[in-house]
Amino acid sequence: MTVIWTKNGIVDNDPWTADGAEQGPKLLPLSEALEHAQDNAPFGVVLQPADDVATLAPILGRVAIIALTFPAFGDGRGFSQAALIRQRLGYEGELRAVGAVLLDQIPLMLRTGFDSFEVSHAPTIERLKQNRLPGIDLHYQPSVDRTEAGQGYSWRRAAIVNG
Amino acid sequence: MKTAPFKTRVLTANRLSDGVSVWLGASGEWVLSIRDAFLARHDEAVSAIEAAGAQALADNRVVDVNVIEVEETPTGPRPYRLRERIRAEGPSIDYAPVASARVSQAA
Amino acid sequence: MYRYDEFDHAFVAQRVSQFSDQVARRLKGEISEDAFKPLRLMNGVYLQLHAYMLRVAVPYGTLNSRQMHKLAHIARTYDRGYGHFTTRQNIQYNWPALKDMPAILEELAEVEMHAIQTSGNCIRNVTADHFAGAAADEVADPRPYAEILRQWSSVHPEFSFLPRKFKIAVTASERDRAAIQVHDIGLQLKKDGEGRLGFAVWIGGGQGRTPILAKKVNDFLPEADLLSYVTAIMRVYNLHGRRDNKYKARIKILVHETGVEKLSAEIEAEWMHLKDGELTLPEADIAAINAYFAPPALGARAEGWGELAAWKKSDPDFASWVGRNVAPHRHPDYGMVTISLKPIGGIPGDASADQMDAVARLAVEFGHDEIRVTHEQNLVLPHVALADLEPLYRALVAEGLATANAGLITDIIACPGLDYCALANARSIPVAQEISKRFGDAARQAEIGDLKIKISGCINACGHHHVGHIGILGVEKKGAELYQISLGGSGDENASIGQITGRGFEPDQVTDAIETIVDTYLALRTGAEETFIACYRRIGADPFKAALYGGEAQAA
Repeated sequence: MTVIWTKNGIVDNDPWTADGAEQGPKLLPLSEALEHAQDNAPFGVVLQPADDVATLAPILGRVAIIALTFPAFGDGRGFSQAALIRQRLGYEGELRAVGAVLLDQIPLMLRTGFDSFEVSHAPTIERLKQNRLPGIDLHYQPSVDRTEAGQGYSWRRAAIVNG
Repeated sequence: MKTAPFKTRVLTANRLSDGVSVWLGASGEWVLSIRDAFLARHDEAVSAIEAAGAQALADNRVVDVNVIEVEETPTGPRPYRLRERIRAEGPSIDYAPVASARVSQAA
Repeated sequence: MYRYDEFDHAFVAQRVSQFSDQVARRLKGEISEDAFKPLRLMNGVYLQLHAYMLRVAVPYGTLNSRQMHKLAHIARTYDRGYGHFTTRQNIQYNWPALKDMPAILEELAEVEMHAIQTSGNCIRNVTADHFAGAAADEVADPRPYAEILRQWSSVHPEFSFLPRKFKIAVTASERDRAAIQVHDIGLQLKKDGEGRLGFAVWIGGGQGRTPILAKKVNDFLPEADLLSYVTAIMRVYNLHGRRDNKYKARIKILVHETGVEKLSAEIEAEWMHLKDGELTLPEADIAAINAYFAPPALGARAEGWGELAAWKKSDPDFASWVGRNVAPHRHPDYGMVTISLKPIGGIPGDASADQMDAVARLAVEFGHDEIRVTHEQNLVLPHVALADLEPLYRALVAEGLATANAGLITDIIACPGLDYCALANARSIPVAQEISKRFGDAARQAEIGDLKIKISGCINACGHHHVGHIGILGVEKKGAELYQISLGGSGDENASIGQITGRGFEPDQVTDAIETIVDTYLALRTGAEETFIACYRRIGADPFKAALYGGEAQAA
C-alpha cells in the first residue's frame, strides 16, 4: 500500500500518485515538463537526483507540484535539491518526496523543505498515522524549515511547536 | 570438465541482539561454537541451510548470514578462510589479558 | 575546554532517545538490517567479526578526567575491560551488545559525550592538532573552530546521506600535526597581513584505495565565512559526488575527475549565494566559543629547570623518556607529555580500564585536568610543569604507560585488522607486535631515530599506511595474508604518498623486510641527524628495493 502523508495526516484521493488514473493530471519528467510548459492543463514535475533543479526556473509558475525522487534511502541528493528549490528558486508550492521514503529520513526531509511524502513502507505508515516522528526539535544549523533562534549561538535553531 | 570435490559447508551469522558470532546447529538452533554446527555435506543440505539463513535474517534473529566452506578435522570443522577461523576462535592476539582473564573466570 | 549548555544537553538527550527508538524498532523487526545500517553507523555502531563495535566521539581529541573515568567505567561495565584509541582521536569498544547501546549512550551523555557521526556517510567527528592550546607554534587555538564545525554538522538535514564519509581536520601551525592534506577538508588557521584570522582551505585529500593529497582551494577564508564556505563545498559534493561506486565516491575523486579549478569555481559560485547570509559567524559567537578554550592558569614553576636536570642525570631511563615523550610547551616552565599506548610488543592504541582511570587521576594531579587523544593513537597531557615530570613519570611507570618511544619505530599506528574488523583482509596487530618486539631495545630505537610505521589490514587504510614513512598494507592472496610495503609516505606539512616497493611479503617475512629497510637506511644516511624520511627523499627507493629483492627488483 502506498499513501501520501503531509503534516495534516494521510491525504485521501491525492491526484498525483505516480501510477495515477489515466484521466488525472500528470507528473511529468523534467524534459517533458519543459516541453509542456505552454499547455493549459495542470501538471506536476518529477525530478531524478541527477536533474539540475535550476532548469525548472522558467516553468516554476506553471507547475502544481514538484516531486523529488529518492532511488535509495542512502541517496541524499534530494535533500540538496529541495533546499535549492525552496531557497534559491523561491518555490512555495507542494514539494513531495517519492521513492525510498522511510521514517527516519522524514524529519530531515521536513527540514529541507519537503511537505508531502509518498510512502509505502508499512511500519513507517503506521508511525505516521500515529504522528510519532522520530525527529529532534533542536537544531545546530539553519535549514529551509521555519524555526526560532536556538539558545546561545547564531547557527542554532529550535523547532516551532505546532509550526 | 572435472568438477571440484565437494567441500563441507556450515552456516554462520551474527546474532542481532548482541552481535555474537553464531553457527546453525543440527536442530535448527543457533549455537555459539562452530564445533556444534550442522555440517552440510551435499547440495541439498546446502540449499536447506541457505534457506534457514534467509528465514532467520527475515525474522530479524541474525544478521550478516553466510555459508562458509570448512574442512572436517578430528577436532571439529575448520574454516578454510582465516577470517572465518578468527570468527570461530576469537582474536588471534592476547588482548587486554588481565580483563579477559576476569571475564573468563566469571563465565 | 567546551562545556555543554542546556541546548547541548537537551539535544544529546533527544538524540539518545531517537537512537534508542531506532534500536527498539530494529529489535522488533520494523526496520530491516539494510535500512538500519546507516542509522546505526551514524551513531557509531558497527557490526564486526565477533560482536558489535561502538565508536565514541572524542571531539578534536580533547577530554577531561571525568570523561576518561567514564570511558573506563564503560569498558568495565559493558565491554571486556579495555578500549582502543583510534587514528581519528576517538575510542572504540569491541564487545558491546546492541541492546546495551542506549544505556551506554545515556552514560556518555552524563559526561557530555556521544557517538554521533563517528561513522556513516556523513560529516565525521572533526579532528585537530593534539597539541592545540599548548603548542608554541600555533597562531591561535584551532579547537574553537572544530567545535563550531562539530555543532553545525551534527544531524545536518542536508548532509546526512552524502555519497561517502566526510572528514574535516583543523590545524593552526605551519607544522601540521593533524594531517590536513589527507582529509576531505583540511583547514589551516592562519593570519593575514593585518593580523585577522582565517583559513587556508584544502579539499580532496584522502587515503583508501586511491590515495590523493588535498588541493588548496582558498588561501585565506575569513573566519566569519567558515560555515557558509564549508556548506558550499558540501552542497557541491552532495549533488555531484559519484554514487555509482563506493570506491569512487569520496570528494577526492570528484576533485580529480572534475579538475580542481573547475570544481573550486563551482564551489565559489555556490558560495556567492550563501556568503554574508545566516551562516556568517558573528564575532561575539566566535569569542564566546573561544572563551571555553582559554588555557589554564599556568603559574611560574621555574624550579623545574634545575630539578629536571638533576633527575635526568640520575636516571637515564627518565632522561630518555623526557627526550622522546615531552615536547616544549609555549610556557617555558611546562611541557606537553605524550603517554605512549605502544608498549613494546603491545597492541597499538589499546588501554585497559585501569590505565584509563590512572591517566584521568594523573591529569588532575599534574595536568590541569586536560587529556588529549592523538591521531597516532597515544594520549597527551598538554600542560605539565617540568617540576612535576619526575613524579608523573614514576606513576606512569607503575601503570605500564611510560614507554619512551614517541615518534620512534615502535610508535606504530595499526588498525584493528582481521582480529576484529569485518572489512579487513589481513591482521595488523600481530604484525605491529612483532616489529615492536624486534626493535624494542631502547638503544637501537634511539639510534634509528624518527621513523613512522603505519599498518592497515585492508585497502580502506584506517592504519594510514599511505602516509607512513614505512607503510604496511595487508591483503588476502589465495586465501593467505600477504603484506605490501611502501616507503616515503608522510602525513605532515610535507605530505607525500608512499610508493610500493614491490611484491608482498608473507606474515613471517615482514619483520625481516622492515629490518632490511632499516639497516639500509642506517648504512646510507649521512649521519644520525638525517632522519629516515629525509634519507629516503635524498636517495630514493632503489637502494631499498635492491636490498629487499636483489636482482628481482626490476621484475617486481
